[in-house]
Amino acid sequence: MIFLIHYNRTAGEIVKLKEFDDSERSIAADARLALELELVGKKDGNEVCLLEARSKEALRLTHRRYFESLRTLTASGSSTVAALDKP
Amino acid sequence: MLKLGAHSPTAMAEPSKTKIDRLGDRLRKGPAEKSDLITLDGYRRSFGPAYEQVVQIIRDQLKLNPSGRPAKSTNSLVEKLKRESIRLTQVQDIAGCRVVVRNVPEQDRVVESLSDAFPSVSIVDRREKPSYGYRAVHVIADFAGKMVEVQVRTELQHMWAEISEKYADIYGSEIKYGGGEEKVREFLEMISETVAGYEENELVISKLTKSNRIEEIQEKMDLLKKKIATRLDEEIEFVDRMKGEKE
Repeated sequence: MIFLIHYNRTAGEIVKLKEFDDSERSIAADARLALELELVGKKDGNEVCLLEARSKEALRLTHRRYFESLRTLTASGSSTVAALDKP
Repeated sequence: MLKLGAHSPTAMAEPSKTKIDRLGDRLRKGPAEKSDLITLDGYRRSFGPAYEQVVQIIRDQLKLNPSGRPAKSTNSLVEKLKRESIRLTQVQDIAGCRVVVRNVPEQDRVVESLSDAFPSVSIVDRREKPSYGYRAVHVIADFAGKMVEVQVRTELQHMWAEISEKYADIYGSEIKYGGGEEKVREFLEMISETVAGYEENELVISKLTKSNRIEEIQEKMDLLKKKIATRLDEEIEFVDRMKGEKE
């Protein structure tokens, strides 16, 4: 799946997330460009990115920053450490 | 009206290297004009076939499940151009993907497999010499001049990177490159060093599984693990107290 994310760095939040099928890569890229052009001249903090993953859940694991607050990220870091297995 | 599809690489010839580097100069100076964003979009799309090939090889041959970023975001690209004296055509991570693995021995195995899977690669190992705390291995595959970066991170390296990115959103991206709020930088560096210590011992254990010193090393690792967890818990309290943080 392809995900078009409009993220606001200042707020630390996703403004808009749109999903596309794997076969819609070109349409998704068009949508990204259209959004970037729409945001030209707007105040800073906007980030537009196109990401791909097997599922939204998979994306949430590899790009957590877009989906979680600093607090929950740090807290889950603590849980990750606690859950580390002995090698 | 703008016809976006007309800018796909199949619909128009790829701009010359000189034109792309001039575009990079304009983006560096800013602010970005609409015409520049359209040219940039065409350039980024030209990495599509190489990117797709890399992801397919990782999925089919290595049986891994990467998350991809077919094209670096404009913000990241402009920040990189401003930060480094680099031409746009020299940027190696226009297209890329990310693989998160359990630990360092697995990371080494994946990096080796990636090196074997692609005809031409260069490896940037940021574990020994971290970039302001950032530790990972980047495998850069070259497909006829189109570079695709594969980030291979362990779970702990990834945890650190995600927290660092989030801090960069709040305090500014200079946090990731040695600038910005000192307290945050110190915290990130301390966590990175402790994670490095943990992973170093993890690697030793994997190599010395029959050694009598295993218990001794394991005790050391448990202490390191406790240290990371304690510091993260302290940081949660700090975050809670922080004024102005927008959750």
